[in-house]
Amino acid sequence: MHADDVVRCHVLVIGSGGAGARAAVEAAAYGDTVMISKTLIGKGGCTTMAEGGYNAVLRELDGCPMHVEDTLRGGAYLNDAALVDVLVTEAPERMADLVRWGAVFDVTDDGQVAQRPFGGQRFPRTCYAGDRTGHEMMMTLAERLRASPVEHVQETTVIELLRDGDRVSGAVALDRRGEMVVICADATVLATGGGTQVYDISTNSAAGTGDGYALGYRAGAELVDMEMVQFHPTGAVYPYDARGRLITEAVRGEGGVLLNAAGERFMHRYDPDRMELSTRDVVARAIATEVLEGRGTAHGGVYLDVTHLAAGTIEERLPIMLEQFLQFGVDIRTQPMEVAPTAHHLMGGLRITPDAATTVPGLFACGEVTGGVHGANRLGGNALADTQVFGKRAGESAGRAPVRVHSVDIARVDAQYDRLDAFFEGTAPPSTFTDRLKLAMWRDAGIFRTEAGLRSLSATLTELSVEKPKAAAPANLLECCTVENMIILSSLIVSGALLRRESRGAHVRTDLETAWPPEASPFGHTYQSLRAKGIEEART
Amino acid sequence: MSGTQPLTVRVSRFDPETDEEPRYEIYTVDANEGARVLHVLHAIHDDLDPTLSYRYCCGSGQCGSCAVRVNGEPALACMKEAEDGMTVEPLNLPVIKDLTVDLAPLLDKLAASTTADDAELPTKQEIEAIKPLRDCIECLSCVSECPAITVAEFLGPTHMRQEMRIALDPRCTDDRIEKAIEEGLFTCTTCQRCVQVCPKQIKTPGRAIEKLREIANRRGLTLPRHVEVANLVRDTGRSVVRTEATFLEQVPEVIEPDAPVRGEVGFFVGCMYNGRVPQNALDMIEVMKRNGIRVIVPHDQVCCGSPLIRTGQTWVLEALKKKNIEAFESRGITTVMTMCAGCGSTLKNDYDTPFEVKDVSEILTEYGIEPPEPLDLRATYHDPCHLLRGQGISAQPRELLRMAVREFVEMPNQCCGAGGGVRSGLPEEAAALGKLRHEEIEKTGAEIVVTICPFCEFHISENTDRPVKNICSVLLEGYREKDRKKGGPAG
Repeated sequence: MHADDVVRCHVLVIGSGGAGARAAVEAAAYGDTVMISKTLIGKGGCTTMAEGGYNAVLRELDGCPMHVEDTLRGGAYLNDAALVDVLVTEAPERMADLVRWGAVFDVTDDGQVAQRPFGGQRFPRTCYAGDRTGHEMMMTLAERLRASPVEHVQETTVIELLRDGDRVSGAVALDRRGEMVVICADATVLATGGGTQVYDISTNSAAGTGDGYALGYRAGAELVDMEMVQFHPTGAVYPYDARGRLITEAVRGEGGVLLNAAGERFMHRYDPDRMELSTRDVVARAIATEVLEGRGTAHGGVYLDVTHLAAGTIEERLPIMLEQFLQFGVDIRTQPMEVAPTAHHLMGGLRITPDAATTVPGLFACGEVTGGVHGANRLGGNALADTQVFGKRAGESAGRAPVRVHSVDIARVDAQYDRLDAFFEGTAPPSTFTDRLKLAMWRDAGIFRTEAGLRSLSATLTELSVEKPKAAAPANLLECCTVENMIILSSLIVSGALLRRESRGAHVRTDLETAWPPEASPFGHTYQSLRAKGIEEART
Repeated sequence: MSGTQPLTVRVSRFDPETDEEPRYEIYTVDANEGARVLHVLHAIHDDLDPTLSYRYCCGSGQCGSCAVRVNGEPALACMKEAEDGMTVEPLNLPVIKDLTVDLAPLLDKLAASTTADDAELPTKQEIEAIKPLRDCIECLSCVSECPAITVAEFLGPTHMRQEMRIALDPRCTDDRIEKAIEEGLFTCTTCQRCVQVCPKQIKTPGRAIEKLREIANRRGLTLPRHVEVANLVRDTGRSVVRTEATFLEQVPEVIEPDAPVRGEVGFFVGCMYNGRVPQNALDMIEVMKRNGIRVIVPHDQVCCGSPLIRTGQTWVLEALKKKNIEAFESRGITTVMTMCAGCGSTLKNDYDTPFEVKDVSEILTEYGIEPPEPLDLRATYHDPCHLLRGQGISAQPRELLRMAVREFVEMPNQCCGAGGGVRSGLPEEAAALGKLRHEEIEKTGAEIVVTICPFCEFHISENTDRPVKNICSVLLEGYREKDRKKGGPAG
């Protein structure tokens, strides 16, 4: 390790999705900012893929208290109230930033940002750009970043956070060829997004392998509510290799109806008031139940139908859906889609303060990698708002961190060389590990969970973590690190699920009776760190 | 899950750090029904060769990471269905390794936007104008296939799309039109290849490049040679100077066929066939006469306006459109035939006509023609951009050509360099593209090149040593040969 191999900066932002890009834009005002990401900007993470929208209170008839209440109710009252307040209060301001920076959101005839109804909300407050809302946000942020002094290190993946005493002081990363890069920073922002790639059926991009949860955990950070995994009700079921691909909630927002194989609009049996626009946990369980009880389609899903809408409406409001399904041989203007639940979002993550500080000094976090904002179930449209609200806060907090003398912990860097070398002696290709992990997670840590299933899954994860994945060449080292991250994330989800002995929001334990409504639950967050794990009592 | 089937595919492998040139490896994998190209790459990587390098991310056609060439054509690996025997290659961009190309330096050059701190939400109308330019997922397929980039200083189609997006947005404070010109605004031949390969079908030449050229025109930044053409059209109704007897001067308004009448078309002659290469149009008339098709030629028709639209000088356009539509409509013509690919594309795409517009190759194949005596020649066909991509016509000319010569050989299609005002405005670039055509023609071993566009005919013939002929002239030669063999009358 030579001194000139080390990049030094004031703020290091890890991740270039919606939260990371927003954090970098903000941090740049305070000092040298480096944004490092394992993908190219605009091409990684899940913001680019987010279709439906961004929740913000913009109208007289709407109100922040109502948005707060919808979010808490949707989250089964597990959310951190302080974080929800920040989210709801600042979502409109961050939307205004995007509009000021050139975002091309749809607008109404009378010149306001257009909004559509989304599940679990009593006011149509979801702002959108057709069904490519996240893509529009990323394009806007990328335009902004190109005009900023932020240095962007692309296709370079952080494999470990650096420590200086009890502080996080930067990161070690691997470039595309497997060469190590060391970056020292006064403050580090973790914005690595989610990780539902640990499930066999997932909406996440290939980047959604949960690296940030593992990085944060190994660096000593505390994570909360890791058992809270959102299964989006509507993922594609065909073709097999494209299973899980997101069918946006906007389809239901625009009037799409769910039908079982017998043609029955079954939501009336699960949530007669809200029907298809119930919260995601409810709709996902309803679809899963229909399929489990034999009322599903041949491909193991149910129908999502918009054929009653005008073709022009579908073309204007749902162009990406139309185009994607056409490529798979289905014209949604005349034929129903087939859908089934798919692992979509992790509500749990690093515990943060409203200023986006984690429990480890020097480490800030924003976006999906954090926990507490969305409680036990996230409302559609709150994630994109989350990226901007907490992205800005994390960038600002990191920017304000004091300038420090950087010293590289050589022992920690050397440990990484040892870790990597061991992969050349691995026993099986990385895909062997991930294939087994994904199927086991889907089976036993899916929509319905039991203690027995979780214990058996835990044993599988232990077996997997004992073996080492094999790197065929330096360029494959990264895949091996990713396998380790996926095993850590899965273990966190499983132990969270074992800790929470109740059904709440997205977490359903079929082996337990839950004798209380969520608002009266005796439990608070589950928490896990290197030092301790447990479940909090409800705050009264 | 449905069953699997074995697929054998050919994949380009190349590590510029160790290999002198790319090589192909053949792999056989088991693929699920409906598998995409990406899933086949995953199977190769996971089960056969973990060193295969390819880029991917969202898996649903939204991030633009995974564009590759499948059987020579750019496609998103995650959306394109895999097929047995396919060849997968990287885009025509600098290769990092195997199928991974270096996108970052090109993405970095997309224009940044600077907006005022008090910028306000645009109106619905303004937003709707920008939206079609906003679908871009920056896969850079367009850049990888753009012919202008290979011979001129041009950043690329999507960079022009981004410039137009900024130009349309009232929030963006920068006036970047001179920057767009520096980035190569005038080098685009409007060949539409970028539209053809765009996974989002963004019409960059029409919606961005020609519109940016309009802005440049309003600023007085149009290339001088293009201004001359516009002034000529304004003064004479024609984009070429009269040097010899024009086609319209040589023919009557109604040309009756020799054979019994099977049909009737109006003929939109266009400036080039009228004033520069009238013989080709006269040859076409002979072919029509022989095949029983009555041709009506309104003498009050004028330039279609294509050279003005392509170069952003649309201020005289409306008058031309009105005059042309009236010329045909007033004579009760329901089908207008074009022979110039540029005129045909313009009438079909930029006009709203009360009559149907068809290319001469469509007319001849729809009616069916008397077979000519095949000429004892090996011929290749050059697809005019404005016929192939502007009008979607590729089969009909080939059908005719196969009847007309002993041997027909294909060559890869690429713009010859004559379009978009490049031949007149940037002749060196046009010549460089013309030379590339010559190289492809040589590879085919063809003795003649056949095409159906006066610009292509004229331009390619300046850049190759083989004769370049219009399909109608070749057909007519075949008829004459037939008559000569029979000892009958010469056509």
